[in-house]
Amino acid sequence: MADTTSSLSGTGSVPQTRDRTERRVLLSLVLAFVTWLIQAVGVGPVLNLLGQAVALGIENLFGWVHIRIPVLSAYQSLLDTATETLGFLRYLPWAALALAALFVGLLFRQGDGFRWAGNRLARKSVGWIVAAALLLLAMALSSLIDDYGKVGKVVAGFATRNGAFLAAFCLVAALALAVIGSSGILVTRAGALERVLVGNVTAKVAALPMILVAMGIFFGGTIWTIAYSFTNSKLLPKEHFVGFDQYARLWGEPRWMVSIENLAIYGVLSLIFQLVIGFLLAVLLDQKIRFENTFRTILLYPFALSFIVTGLVWQWILNPDFGVQHIVRSIGFESFVFDPIYDASIVIYGVLLAALWQGTGLVMCLMLAGLRGIDEDIWKAARIDGIPAWKTYLMIIVPMMRPVFITTLVIIAAGIVKVYDLIVAQTSGGPGIASEVPAKYVYDKMFLGQNLGQGFAASTMMLLSVLIVLIPWAYLEFGGKKRG
Amino acid sequence: MVDIAPHAHQPVADGPRGKRPKPLFSLRNIVVYGTLLLVSAYYLVPLYVMIVTSLKTMEEVRLGNVFSFPRDITFAPWVKAWAEACTGLNCDGLSRGFANSVWILVPSVLLSIIVASVNGYALANWKFKGADIFFTILIFGAFIPYQVMLYPVVIVLRELGVYGTRTGLVIVHTIFGMPILTLLFRNYFTSVPEEIFKAARVDGAGFWTIFLKIMMPMSLPIFVVAVILQVTGIWNDFLFGVVYTKPDTYPMTVQLNNIVNSVQGTKEYNVNMAATILTGLVPLVVYFISGKLFVRGIAAGAVKG
Amino acid sequence: MGTSISVRDLVLSFGSVQVLKKLNLEVADGEFIVLLGSSGCGKSTLLNCIAGLLDITDGQIWIKEKNVTWAEPKDRGIGMVFQSYALYPQMTVRGNLSFGLKNQRLPKAEIDKRIARAADVLQIEALLDRKPGALSGGQRQRVAIGRALVRDVDVFLFDEPLSNLDAKLRADLRVELKRLHNQLENTMIYVTHDQVEAMTLADRIAIMRGGQIMQFASPKEIYSRPANRYVADFIGSPAMNFVEGTVADGAFTCAGHSIPLDGYEFTPTGRAGGPAWFGIRPEHIQTGEQAEAMPFRTEVEVDLCEPMGAETQVWASFADMQFRFLVDFALDLKRGDKVSVGFDPARASLFHKGNEERM
Ligand SMILES: Nc1ncnc2c1ncn2[C@@H]1O[C@H](COP(=O)(O)OP(=O)(O)O)[C@@H](O)[C@H]1O
Ligand SMILES: [Mg+2]
Repeated sequence: MADTTSSLSGTGSVPQTRDRTERRVLLSLVLAFVTWLIQAVGVGPVLNLLGQAVALGIENLFGWVHIRIPVLSAYQSLLDTATETLGFLRYLPWAALALAALFVGLLFRQGDGFRWAGNRLARKSVGWIVAAALLLLAMALSSLIDDYGKVGKVVAGFATRNGAFLAAFCLVAALALAVIGSSGILVTRAGALERVLVGNVTAKVAALPMILVAMGIFFGGTIWTIAYSFTNSKLLPKEHFVGFDQYARLWGEPRWMVSIENLAIYGVLSLIFQLVIGFLLAVLLDQKIRFENTFRTILLYPFALSFIVTGLVWQWILNPDFGVQHIVRSIGFESFVFDPIYDASIVIYGVLLAALWQGTGLVMCLMLAGLRGIDEDIWKAARIDGIPAWKTYLMIIVPMMRPVFITTLVIIAAGIVKVYDLIVAQTSGGPGIASEVPAKYVYDKMFLGQNLGQGFAASTMMLLSVLIVLIPWAYLEFGGKKRG
Repeated sequence: MVDIAPHAHQPVADGPRGKRPKPLFSLRNIVVYGTLLLVSAYYLVPLYVMIVTSLKTMEEVRLGNVFSFPRDITFAPWVKAWAEACTGLNCDGLSRGFANSVWILVPSVLLSIIVASVNGYALANWKFKGADIFFTILIFGAFIPYQVMLYPVVIVLRELGVYGTRTGLVIVHTIFGMPILTLLFRNYFTSVPEEIFKAARVDGAGFWTIFLKIMMPMSLPIFVVAVILQVTGIWNDFLFGVVYTKPDTYPMTVQLNNIVNSVQGTKEYNVNMAATILTGLVPLVVYFISGKLFVRGIAAGAVKG
Repeated sequence: MGTSISVRDLVLSFGSVQVLKKLNLEVADGEFIVLLGSSGCGKSTLLNCIAGLLDITDGQIWIKEKNVTWAEPKDRGIGMVFQSYALYPQMTVRGNLSFGLKNQRLPKAEIDKRIARAADVLQIEALLDRKPGALSGGQRQRVAIGRALVRDVDVFLFDEPLSNLDAKLRADLRVELKRLHNQLENTMIYVTHDQVEAMTLADRIAIMRGGQIMQFASPKEIYSRPANRYVADFIGSPAMNFVEGTVADGAFTCAGHSIPLDGYEFTPTGRAGGPAWFGIRPEHIQTGEQAEAMPFRTEVEVDLCEPMGAETQVWASFADMQFRFLVDFALDLKRGDKVSVGFDPARASLFHKGNEERM
C-alpha cells in the first residue's frame, strides 16, 4: 500500500527505467515471434521471386536503347552467398528470446524482488505456463499423434519442429508477467508489458482466426499467386522465374481475348440493365401498392437459387428445339430465329438474360431500401411545390441516392468479375469458346490444363480489374469520410 | 382583435367532402400493376417450366414445348433424379450430393458463425491496435476474386491432409464466409449501446462472459440473419465444391451440373429439371420461410452498414 | 375579417385507428394559430390534412372560401415548413427556392424578384449559392421558410420548425418568426409541443388531445380560464395545483377547509355545484404579508424546497394533497416551517369531477 503514493506522484526515475526495460522485453518477444513466423511459414521462396522480379525489371530498364544491366545473375550469386553466410539467421528467434529473458532479469533487479504470494498477475502468468506445458506435451506425444492420418502427421511435424520454441516463448512471457506482478509500482498504472500481455490479450486471441485468415489467406495468398504468376509453373508450382512471359502468352491467347470481350459485353450490359431495371422496379414497389410483399417475394426468389440452377433452367427455356424459338415458330412465325445457346454470336446475351433474372431482385431490394431511407418530408415538400412524381424522382431522389447507387454498382461489379457458375451450367463456355469468361479460364488452366502459371497470371489480371473499381470506391467511401 | 367565439364553426357545405374519389382503373394504376404483373410473369416462368417439365414423360417432352402443361403427370423423373441418375461411376442419383451438401452445410454454418461472431465482437467492443488493418484486409477479401486465392488454399488444405475431403470444404467455407459475416456482426455489435458493455465490465465480467451472457442473447436476430445468409450461400456454392472436393464428396450443385451437362447418353430433360428443382429446394424453402429476414440479410450483407 | 381556413367535421383514420375525430377549426385571415399538444395527439396529421398531403376520411377543408378538400397541395395556396427542413440537398439555396417556381413556368424575372425579396426578408442573400450541407441548422430553417415564402401564398403551415435547433437559436428564430408574421400579415398555422413557443407566438392556441381540440382561444384566455382540467394541467409551469372537494352554496369545501368563491365567474353549468376539482396556479399563491390581503388565507407546513434561481418552489400539503407555490429566493424556508399562504379564488379554476369541464 505504501507504494501507491510513490506511484501516484511517480515521475521518478525508477518507473521510467522500468518502463523502458519493459518495452525492451516486449520488443525482443515480438522480434522472436516474427522471425519464427517468417521461418515457419516459409516466405523465403516468395521473397526470392519478388527479388527476381525487381532484378529483372532493373535489367530491362533500358532495354529500349539496347542496354542491359546484368543484375539478374548478380542477384543470383548474391542470393547464394547470402544463403550461405546468413545461415546463422535461423537461430535469430532463439537469440531474440534469450535477449528477452535477459531483460526480464534486468526487470527483476530493478523491481523489488519477486513474490509469488500476493502477486497480482500470478493468475495471468499461470495461463502462459499452462500454454507452455501443453505445447511440451504435444511435442512429447507427437510420435503417437503421428499415426492419426495425414492431419496427425501435420500436427506432429509442427509440434516437433516448433514446440520447443513456442514453449520457451510462453515461459519467458510468464516469467515477465510474474516479475512485473511482484512490484507495487505499477499497480495503478499498467506498463507496456502488462497492457500487451494481459490488457486485452483475450480479445486478440479471439480475433486470431480473423488475423490469420486476413494475413495468411487473403493477403498472403494473393501475394503468393501474384509472385508465382511470374514463374513457368505447370502441374506444380515451381520457382523458375520467367518474368512477364505468362502475361505475354495470356494476351496472345484467342480464348483469353474472347473471355475478356465477353466479360466486357456482359459486364457493361448487366450493370446498366440491373441498375435501371432494379431502380424502376423499386420505384414501382414504392408506390404504396397492394400486395407489395407478394411482388417483392416473386422478384427476389431467383436470388435465393444457385447460379447452377439458374443456368440449367435457362438453358432449357432457350433450347431451340423445345423452348422459346420453337414456340414462336409453332404459332406461325416460321422463320423466327432466337437461339442464344448454340449461336456463337449471341450466346452471351442468353447468359445475360439469365443473369438479369437472377440478380435484378437484389438490386431492386437495395434500391427499395434506399428509397425508403429518404426523408418523408422531402416528398411532402416536393408535392407542395407541385413537382410531378417523375420529376421528383429524377431531379431530387436519384441524386440523393447516389451512395446507394455507388454501393450497388460496386457489389454488381465485384459479382460480374467472378461470374463462373452460370457459364459452366448454361453453356459450358460454348459453343466452341464463344461464351468463355476469365474465371473459367483460370479454373480450366489451373485444375484441368495443368498450366498453373497461366492460371496465376489470368487470376492476377482479374484481381487487377477488381482493384481498378475497388480502390477509387474505397477512397471515396472511407478516405472521404475522414476528411469531411 | 379576433372575434370568433370558441367552437363556433360553419357547418359542412355541399361540394367535395371526405376522401378524394379515385378511379380503380386510373392510368397510374394500370401502368404500375400492369408492369408489375408482367415482370412477375417473367420471374415466375422459369419456375413453372421447371415444374411442368419435371412432371412430363420423355415422349411428351419431345412432342410438346417447354411451357405446355403435362397431359399425364408422372413422378418417375423425380425418383430417377433422386436415386438413379448417373454421374461418372456413381449411379445413386442426387441423394449422394444431397447427403454431402448436408454434411458440409451444418458444420460450415456453425463454425463460420461462431468464428465470425467472436471476431465481430472483438472488433466492435475490444478495439485493439492494428484491428482496423486486419479488418480492412478482410473486407477487401470479400471483393477480391476468389480465383486469386484458390491455389494457395489448395496448398494449405494439402498440407493439412484434408484436400478433397468434406472437412476441407468446411474449412474453406469458414474462411471465405468470414469477411461478410464479420462485417455483419461487427456492425450489429457496434450498434449495441456502449453503456451496456461498460456496465458489464464494471460488474467484473470478462471477454467471454460479456459475449455469452450479454451480447449473444441480445443479438438473436442477427444470428438468424447470419444463418440464412450462410445456408443459402454454402448450399448454392459451386466453385469451391468443384475445386476442393472429389467426385465422391461433391456437393449437390456440382453433382447436378455433372448430371445435366454430361455428354454421354441421351438427354433426359425431365430428369434434369427434377434434379434442378431438388437442388434449388433447400434455399427456396429457407427463402420462403424467412421472408423479411432474408431481405434484411442480403441488405446487411451487401451494403456495408 | 374573413375566414382563411375552415376545417369542418374532419375525420382521419389510418386503417381502423381514428387519429382525428370530427375536428372543427375556424381560422381568421391573418391570424397566427398554434396547434399545441403532447406528442402523438395528431397535430402533424391535422396540418398534413390541411396541406392536402393526407387523404382525409370525412369532412371538408376550406381555404380562402374555397372548398379544397380534393385539391392538390400545390393548388391550395399554401406553403409549408418542416421540422427536418426537407431541403433538396444537391441543389443550391437558390435552386431550392426556385425549383417549385420554375416548375410553375413563371418568367425568370419574376422568379428572381421573388427570390430577392425572400432572401432580403430572411437575410440569406449571402447563402444563395451554397448547398444546404454547408449551412447551419438555423440557416437551413431560414431557407426552408424562404421556400414557402417565394410561393407567394396566403397560408403558411409550420410543423415544429424549431424543434431541431438548440435553445438559443430557437429563441432567436422565434422572435424572427413573430416579426415575419407582423410584416407579411399572412395566416400561419404553427405546430409545436413547446408551450412557451405557443404562448409567445400565437394569436390563438388550439390545444389538442387524442385527435380533438380541447380548447381554442387566446393565450391569455387559455392561461386564465382553461376549459377543462387537461388544458389547466398542460399549460403553465410549474403546473397547476389541484384539490379535490365539493362546490355548494358559493363555496368550495374540502377536508377541513372552506373556500368562499366570491368573484369567481361560473359557467352556466357550473352554478349547480357538485363534486369538483379546485385548481390554483402556484404563481397565484401569495405568502407572508401579501397573503394577508387575500380573500382566502391559511397556514401550511413546508415539506420540501426546490431552489430554482430567482424563485424557490415550495412543496407543502393542503387538505391532504400535495401543493406547491413560489417564494422569493431570499426567503430561507426549511422542512417543518409554518408558512401562511393566501390566494384570490377569482383567479382559480373549478372543474366538474366527472367530465372535468370548467364550472
Ligand atoms: N402513417 C401513419 N400510419 C398509422 N398511424 C399513424 C401514421 N402517422 C401517424 N400515425 C399515428 O397518428 C397519431 C398522430 O400522429 P402525429 O400527427 O404525427 O402526432 P404529433 O401530434 O406528434 O404530430 C399518432 O398516434 C401516430 O402513431
Ligand atoms: Mg409531429
